[in-house]
Amino acid sequence: MSPSIARARTRISLSSGAGEARSPLAWIGALALHAGIIAATLLTFSHALEITDQSPPMIPVDLVTIGVKTNIAPRSVIQPKALPAETPAPPTPTPSPTQPSAPEQKAEAAPAEVAPSAQPIKVPPKPEAKPQTQPKPDKKDFNVDNVLALINKVAPAAASAPNAKPADRNIKGVGAMNAMTADLQDALRSQIAQCWSPPVGAPRAEELIVDFDLFLNPDGSVAQPPQLLASSSTADPYTRAAAEAARRAIYECAPYKLPADRYSQWREINPFHFDPAAMMGQ
Amino acid sequence: MRKFTVLLAALAALLLVSPAFAQLRVDVTQGTIQPLPIAIPNFNGDPAGAQIAGVVRADLERSGLFRPLDPKSFIEQIKDVNVQPNFANWRVINAQALVTGQAMLQPNGLLRVDFRLWDVAGGSQMIGTGKAATPDNWRRMAHIISDLIYERVTGEKGYFDTRIVFISETGPPLARKKRLAIMDEDGANPQFLTNGSYLVLTPRFNPTAQMIAYMSYISGKPRVYLCDIESGKQEMLGNFPNMTFSPRFSPDGNKVAMTLEAGGNSDIYVMDLRNRAVTRLTTDPSIDTSPSYSPDGAQIAFESDRGGSQQIYVMNADGSNQHRISFGGGKNGTPVWSPRGDMIAFTKQDGGRFNIGVMRPDGSGERIISNGWEDEGPTWAPNGRVLMYSRTLQGGRGSQIWSVDVTGRNERRVLSPGDASDPAWSPLRPQ
Repeated sequence: MSPSIARARTRISLSSGAGEARSPLAWIGALALHAGIIAATLLTFSHALEITDQSPPMIPVDLVTIGVKTNIAPRSVIQPKALPAETPAPPTPTPSPTQPSAPEQKAEAAPAEVAPSAQPIKVPPKPEAKPQTQPKPDKKDFNVDNVLALINKVAPAAASAPNAKPADRNIKGVGAMNAMTADLQDALRSQIAQCWSPPVGAPRAEELIVDFDLFLNPDGSVAQPPQLLASSSTADPYTRAAAEAARRAIYECAPYKLPADRYSQWREINPFHFDPAAMMGQ
Repeated sequence: MRKFTVLLAALAALLLVSPAFAQLRVDVTQGTIQPLPIAIPNFNGDPAGAQIAGVVRADLERSGLFRPLDPKSFIEQIKDVNVQPNFANWRVINAQALVTGQAMLQPNGLLRVDFRLWDVAGGSQMIGTGKAATPDNWRRMAHIISDLIYERVTGEKGYFDTRIVFISETGPPLARKKRLAIMDEDGANPQFLTNGSYLVLTPRFNPTAQMIAYMSYISGKPRVYLCDIESGKQEMLGNFPNMTFSPRFSPDGNKVAMTLEAGGNSDIYVMDLRNRAVTRLTTDPSIDTSPSYSPDGAQIAFESDRGGSQQIYVMNADGSNQHRISFGGGKNGTPVWSPRGDMIAFTKQDGGRFNIGVMRPDGSGERIISNGWEDEGPTWAPNGRVLMYSRTLQGGRGSQIWSVDVTGRNERRVLSPGDASDPAWSPLRPQ
């Protein structure tokens, strides 16, 4: 008999002092029955624990909600980007800004031989009179055709690079947050892949990894200039070139097509991590 | 208790009003290698401005890393290089970079060219500078501007203000004239350096000066000569009793490594140009030739058939530690160490074809980057990013010079007058 059972019996005995009116036989019977039930329960519980201990470790299962967009490999449809020559010219904007009254840069005359002077020119101040109306690029307009065009544009990456590998299917972690945002990550990845052209010909190009902190507006446009994170040193010109290539891609691909009702999940992309290692040898 | 309830209600209201923002991590590992769309309107001012902009457009397009946009698509007309452009007008035609400039003939007779490189997306200036030279040097100024743009965008030095020395072949097949010739990197300004009365082969540039070494049969005997391109002055490099060939300068330009043949055995020697002292580096009874220094001058790559077939070896600059690095199959020869130091280019002979390949100095990472029938004799651009080589057309239909990016992209023919072979790329010209 375990000490816990003994304690249970003691507690029951003490509490039984309240009912003097009932017959002693009934009391004895009830006590015996209760004690028996409690003892049996405790013994069974103890036995069940032993069985549980011998069972294999439990595998937790997370329920993952499949999002609208997943890691679908690019379709092989060639959809060349619109050539600028064929782009219909939008209406000419307001007249060019008025020339600021900045003093004209007077450069020193270079020597007669071919020795171009390296005198930098002062950056002129920005014109005060800003254009009143700017032609809004067509791509800013959200419509179904644009979305369809975007889906079709997934193809050229595979078509243009003969040795291209399928899209990275590794989703790091299967936590609840990742499960909720995996489709957002895929959507951003597939969109930025059309615009990002890293400097793969640079020496040790696979090490030119850059990270950005990017804030987006609810319409998917870039809210403020992307900030290069401190982990990405731009001390050498190659890394600076890599950072600028990634920054250009961020701007070029905007506005991003993302579900508006989940803006809180994609308002800030941090880190927006650009790693060209998988593109080497393409 | 009541205060507590009010506080709780306020907190709940706050939660309802401001949604919880989270940071989304996105790892981008795939992109699309494509040239940078760049808008280069004709420069304002002097008529030379339009010509300069045209050369800059051609230079950048040839690199394969830029895609100059058709000027017909431009919406905004740049009126003044000192006024910031309206970036929206350039974003709408998908330009990611913009070059504005102006040319002015100054009272002192010099042509002054000011230009600016703009980041269209970020709306900021990346370069703003000016150059001046005599008007007949407008092409060089254009190449220098191209180099500045290339360097600012890619992070590495440009190679447009360079020249190519090559062997020009003219005349009927039975009376072929092989002459040493030189032209700008874009094929402009071709000139002959020799008159074709004697055979000239394997020209090699001094990496620090406008001087070449080459093999010639001037007196009927094959010897290595030096030639100063600017003055045209030639001199024989040492008076050896036997054939000397396959010269190559050291990175500091003070030494020339070359092959000396004696009694059927070819070995690599090095001559110090300052005191003309000669040192023998290899002694193997096989054929050792085609030496090429590493950019730090500490090692030399060369080809040898000591193992039974022509392969690439590397040794220290004093001849010690000779070891084979090419194990990728076929015969491998004419190694040329990249000025960047990260690659050795070579000619691979395999399956009846000759192609240009690159490998790391330890022999790893071998890649074939040319696609011709018979490509051989690679030479590096001074930035180690682009290679040129000879291409012999199938069926003996002539020879051409081709170039390719080190990644294997952008293979294209280099324009040259007539048939051309054996190119040697100069260093950047002194400014």
